[in-house]
Amino acid sequence: MPLDTSTYNLALLRVDGRRWNELRRVHAQIRTQAAADGSSYLEMGHTKVMCVVTGPSEPGPRRGTGGGGAGGGGAAAGAGAKAEVVVSIVIAGFSSVDRKRHGRGDKRTLELQSTVANALAASLHTHLFPHSQVNISLHVLSQDGSLLAALINAATLACVDAGIPMTDYVAACTAGSTSTYAANDEGADPLLDLNHQEEQELPGLTVATLGESDRVVVLVCESRVQVSRLEGMLAVGVDGCKQVREILDRVVREKGRRMVQEGTVEKGIGLNEMDVD
Amino acid sequence: MASSQHVLLSPAELAYLHASLSLAPPIRPDGRSPTQFRPLVAETGILPGTNGSARICFADGTEAIVGVKAEVERTAQRSGDETVFLEEGGAGGDDDDEEEEAGQGLEKRKGDASWVEMTVEIPGLRDDDSGTAFLAAMLSEALLADGGFTKRLWINRRFHWKLYLDIILISPPLSYPLPLLSLTTHLALLSTRLPRLKSEGDEDPFFDDDWAAAPYLFPRTSSTNIATAKSTTPAAAIRPPITLLVMAVGNNIIFDPSKEELAVADVALAVSVTGSSPSHYAATGTGEEAGRNLRLLSIRTVDPPSRLTPPGLANAANTAYGPSNGTMGTQKMAEARAAETEAAEGVWRPPRGGAKRMVLGALVQKVLERGGVVDEVLDALEGVDSG
Repeated sequence: MPLDTSTYNLALLRVDGRRWNELRRVHAQIRTQAAADGSSYLEMGHTKVMCVVTGPSEPGPRRGTGGGGAGGGGAAAGAGAKAEVVVSIVIAGFSSVDRKRHGRGDKRTLELQSTVANALAASLHTHLFPHSQVNISLHVLSQDGSLLAALINAATLACVDAGIPMTDYVAACTAGSTSTYAANDEGADPLLDLNHQEEQELPGLTVATLGESDRVVVLVCESRVQVSRLEGMLAVGVDGCKQVREILDRVVREKGRRMVQEGTVEKGIGLNEMDVD
Repeated sequence: MASSQHVLLSPAELAYLHASLSLAPPIRPDGRSPTQFRPLVAETGILPGTNGSARICFADGTEAIVGVKAEVERTAQRSGDETVFLEEGGAGGDDDDEEEEAGQGLEKRKGDASWVEMTVEIPGLRDDDSGTAFLAAMLSEALLADGGFTKRLWINRRFHWKLYLDIILISPPLSYPLPLLSLTTHLALLSTRLPRLKSEGDEDPFFDDDWAAAPYLFPRTSSTNIATAKSTTPAAAIRPPITLLVMAVGNNIIFDPSKEELAVADVALAVSVTGSSPSHYAATGTGEEAGRNLRLLSIRTVDPPSRLTPPGLANAANTAYGPSNGTMGTQKMAEARAAETEAAEGVWRPPRGGAKRMVLGALVQKVLERGGVVDEVLDALEGVDSG
């Protein structure tokens, strides 16, 4: 279904009624599941992802390639001085508009797995857990664009919930441009947080940054884009990551506050500045 | 097989557990009564992008999500079917007659097992893992057992719905996930709606795009008033099946066993039952008795993990302990071997052989009891707010 992008210039509104720099509704929860070490649920618009983290734990028996794991720790089989981050992504058959079965060995899924694993292995303090393994299993329940960004954000939240020491949040977001590669449009606006329709039609990239800094952890661009527009897109994307980081931080703080109030956890020493009412 | 996961309990612990579960009444480790289920959290209609969806969290932390998607598919015409259709058409008259008699139309509906596709995803296991395949087979077997389910997917002679059931276990498989997956599938099917058909007869199907008008695959009792309840055929009041795990220790029958309890089970059965909704039996006049008509669909024995547990050793037979220490003659060795095969009080022996016929009979009777456990479960699941 070709997207009619020409309407953007009329009112500067996108197909779903957003402005160029607006995120979709982001809703997140952590500790959604009692049995796991860490778990989270994240919605970015209609993209819905669940994450369950197990570990750091002793690496289990190798299952060959069947586990669908993508090692990101840099060390092999958890035998090294660092914990290995193993990510497995299950894309539900009912997640897209038309039902499609995604096998374990799907190349696209494998690439997503290794991207998420590398991004997190870089920010988790894996050197604190030698000879161990962090299992991150991600479940995609519904897809509407920005899948990689949602996966990274959900995995970050679940790692926070699991209490694995990490440098900072890895917050991810997508950015695009209002006109296609071929259109030689000078006044192309950059767009923030693409949905599925825009992703199909327009050039886009996924960017993840580390915390509040401008340090880019992940940058994935799979479409053709004119070089002159790349800078604008990247700037908008990094800006979006900061907004996402704020949202993730709010979710974690809110959950922490509730847990202190409920008495599930003791109020720590460092929490004195945090107003717990 | 996922059911035979290792439980880290010593033979002494197993013997203790087995002894307390075979008391009358049995004492379960978590203090439940034999027929009591663990609490669970359930919600339906969580994914607007699907025709029906549900999520259930069990108390032990296992969680599953089921999504149902339906697609219109052209029915493959076989020459055999064609001739049957012609004969039926000749007997029933022209098309208008068929539409007038809805009951007859329903009988005409045909179903095929291939119209339902079920996949199970368990994290950490391969797609083609035997355990996963077995689970999927067991769940779809229960669904297809009475043959009535696929008839609901019939649109007209040329088209039918193809139903895809994708079952995802979110948590790592901590306990045997069959009951969890089955209950979640049941809920998802209860919340499944298919677009209302606007076209008539055998033309290409054309649907109402108002989702609010879409009827449920399993019509709900609350939304259908008395007038429509009369017109719905008995088949329409049937609920989707549930498969429960039931185990027996000694003569005690225990529902919803936990992982530890399953580790000492003499027999473990996966029992699939279906029940017709309360409105149905109320309408037919048998409503004075609480409960619904339950029908047994299938029984499968599940290999309990207790068979793989290590046996205990009685003190008398223990060479490293007791009076025989050090001076063990060949005769005593033989005695010890005899003691190993005989039952001794308080010494764990993994169960051998099959289920006793009496126990099996009692078990099935207990499951099918009116107003019993299955009724409770079905009522509870129906109470989950849908949509």
